[in-house]
Amino acid sequence: MPLIGATLNTMGLMFLTHAVYSTYEHTATFPSAPLPLDITIELLFSTLVLSAGIVFSSPSLKPIQWAKWAGKIEREGWQSEGRWTREGEEVLSDGDPYAFLGLDGGIGGKGEGRRGFWDVRVKRKEYAEWVKTGGHS
Amino acid sequence: MNEERELAINPIVQTSVQHNTQVVSNIRNLTASLFGVAAGTLGLESYPGFIFYLVGTLIVSSLVFALRADGKPAEYFHRPLGDLWGGDVFSGLSSFVLTWTLFYGLVRA
Repeated sequence: MPLIGATLNTMGLMFLTHAVYSTYEHTATFPSAPLPLDITIELLFSTLVLSAGIVFSSPSLKPIQWAKWAGKIEREGWQSEGRWTREGEEVLSDGDPYAFLGLDGGIGGKGEGRRGFWDVRVKRKEYAEWVKTGGHS
Repeated sequence: MNEERELAINPIVQTSVQHNTQVVSNIRNLTASLFGVAAGTLGLESYPGFIFYLVGTLIVSSLVFALRADGKPAEYFHRPLGDLWGGDVFSGLSSFVLTWTLFYGLVRA
């Protein structure tokens, strides 16, 4: 996509510069004559190409509905946006904002899925078993 | 169903809304100056110039609609009519007039 945008922008800028300079030359030579059709067409064409190039080279939109957005980041995860900061750090797309809670560890896993959570009942039961077996580990 | 309830059930991601608004306003600002160059070079005066700008913004809106929003503006804009089709049209008008008069003066005067 960036290549299409850059190509369209370069092409549009060249046509636009040419058209504007042609108009300048034309009005300098024949001040009262109307603009020839080919210059008009070139100007409108270059405007259209440039605006398409601007739209192509703009970053893509993000879904605003929470469900769609969360589904997208769940499917794709952290991804590079193809840009780097001046310090050389990669710019990443949106990720799960609640990843730090560690809730995913509790889904189908052995852990509780809550960081820093200590299940006192399980520990008590383990202690009781340990006492029942005679206090030897 | 009223809007508050609808938003409670289907919440909206603020950062995405900000990002989309910024993208649209960027595109509008760039294309507004571009249309100003075209209008000034064509030698448009008075109402035809403003009509040229409105037609241009409509074309750019449909480009965004087709290329960036994939034809589903409701997925990317809270109010598609105001945020996509009418978003930042009048804030781009001043930069349009600026380049319009500049290029009219450069080429025609």
